[in-house]
Amino acid sequence: MAAQQPAAGGGTNPATDTVSEAAKLGTKLLTGTRLLNQVRDVDVQIATSAKDEVWRQDKITLHHYRPLADQRVKTPVLICYGLIGRWTMTDLQEDRSLVQNLLNLGVDLYVVDWGNPSRADRYLTLDDYVCGYLDGCISEMCRRAGVDRVNLLGVCEGGVFATCYAALEPERVNTLTLTITPIDFHADTVENRPGHGFINVWTRSLAPEDVDALIEAHGNLPGEFMGAVFNMMTPMRSLMKYNLDLLEVVDDEKKLLNWLRMEKWIADRPDHPGEAAKQWLKDLYQQNKLVRGELELDGRRVDLGRITLPVLNVYAKDDHIIPPATSCALRGKVGTGNYTELALPGGHVGVFVGGKSQKLFAPAVAGFLKRHD
Amino acid sequence: MTMNPFEYGKALADSWAAAGKALLSAQEDANRAFAEGMKATAAAFGAAPALPELSGDMAELTHANQALMALWSEAATMSALLSSKLPAAGEASPTVDVTFRKMVDPRLWLAGGGEMDEALNRMTEGPRLADLWDVERRFARVLRAWLDVRRRALEHNAVVLEGWLRAGRSFADELVTLPTTGTDPKAPDAKALLALWTETANRVLLEMQRSERFLATQTASIRASTELRAAQRDLVEYYGERFGFPTRTELDDVHRTVTELRRELRALKRRDRPAVTAAAARQTAGG
Repeated sequence: MAAQQPAAGGGTNPATDTVSEAAKLGTKLLTGTRLLNQVRDVDVQIATSAKDEVWRQDKITLHHYRPLADQRVKTPVLICYGLIGRWTMTDLQEDRSLVQNLLNLGVDLYVVDWGNPSRADRYLTLDDYVCGYLDGCISEMCRRAGVDRVNLLGVCEGGVFATCYAALEPERVNTLTLTITPIDFHADTVENRPGHGFINVWTRSLAPEDVDALIEAHGNLPGEFMGAVFNMMTPMRSLMKYNLDLLEVVDDEKKLLNWLRMEKWIADRPDHPGEAAKQWLKDLYQQNKLVRGELELDGRRVDLGRITLPVLNVYAKDDHIIPPATSCALRGKVGTGNYTELALPGGHVGVFVGGKSQKLFAPAVAGFLKRHD
Repeated sequence: MTMNPFEYGKALADSWAAAGKALLSAQEDANRAFAEGMKATAAAFGAAPALPELSGDMAELTHANQALMALWSEAATMSALLSSKLPAAGEASPTVDVTFRKMVDPRLWLAGGGEMDEALNRMTEGPRLADLWDVERRFARVLRAWLDVRRRALEHNAVVLEGWLRAGRSFADELVTLPTTGTDPKAPDAKALLALWTETANRVLLEMQRSERFLATQTASIRASTELRAAQRDLVEYYGERFGFPTRTELDDVHRTVTELRRELRALKRRDRPAVTAAAARQTAGG
């Protein structure tokens, strides 16, 4: 076949371009198909940092990470994720891992796993998680480390758990680090950026009795349901994910594995226990009781003013799920002057997996912990 | 002959509209036959009609269906219009073309926007007990709820499709401002067009999702699917009780009791927990 000549005048030849593009696409698809056939589940492991289960109650387990460096922060740290998604995001892969970064900086690290709530767990409340299970984890950490207080590192809904616990039991908490944590659930209206805070808008569009009926019908708040809500927040991204996005990475093994690891994390969507979901959606998202000082757990009012310990509040500048203003609302509400904010580039998940965050997040947390150890 | 992306979209829309219309028409016939059968059964036994009147629900379903079909027709017209304005997107880049074909397929708009509906439907479409004749009221409640789920889904899909049409119009308006010939060096290539389409569609979809209509139809859809689930459970529990099978309600009672007992146990343990001082704890840890 004769080689295609450049078009007269030095411009590109559309026909040549088309053939060339088609050839590239064919090669890409062939390579991608081979890679996808070769990849096995074992190649897509996430949360691989070595750790030991040290405590268990019902479906909740507490894990202690094995150190990777000499201990430089004496007081142990508990990573407390929420019930939507799982803590594995904090240790997605070796080069994108808050866990590994903190361990390398000499932090004594624990993580609580809430397990996989089933219909049998529908009557568990936020009270149970904060005043029961979280308290149990902290007691065990104190016992093991020989201390009477721990550092809490809460993430998203887990940040709300940590905040509530610090307000209810301030003498058991040394420092409070919050990450992408909503405090004022109505502050999405502060910036009102397009595409940001849809969960806030969506939840407020429901009547409280709609939430009750939903939980009554399904027992729990299904993880699949929340996954659909999250996908609605980025409509075009959701539509393009399995064609354009996959096509972009399909012939690059490293990129493909990264993409598959993220998919694995996204697919792990535990159901949210029903009664706790009612509190989450009605008391917090709809009625905004936390920032108003009206939330009660175990019959005790959660008063943010009782948080007199050092606080580091980390948020993502482009977080469309937890808009920055909903997190920054904590400023001025806590009863401590030792309050610091750290704005990280990227979105909700980018805080944990973004390249820039890897260099900023863990060092800032470790420095904060060391200063107050 | 190779179709360009919008002709492809139009063909899909036409095909989908025809298939959807046939399916919904068949559903309406089946529903009507069921209602008439129920009436005939009641009349044969000399009883007053035991079932709720369902013709109103079916009329509303038909109305919602017709509204959606009208929108599909408009979507097809929009595709044709865009097709006439789109500058040679089909020949520029196969990579983008593959994606573009998918992106402008109107089905994806409903599939993406309707993911919530799918999630709800999967959760509500549980056991089908269609052959039972001695629980007419319960069965009719299920049918009514099912009709309502379909109707609400159609109404919600209509809102989503309107959003797609708005995006299409906006995209078309932007296209006419761009150079249209492939030889013009300023003419956008297919990748640029795809980026423009993505940006436009994303903006319009996000606006749509925050609209009162979208939120209202979605809430109605959630309410309908929740009622269907409740109606199905009522029917299943009726049989469970008759045949001595444990029901969801009974299991919930047990689970509530277990949760409360565990809660009390935790509280007792916490109350009896000795205050751990740092010194005592260090001593314990140190053996």
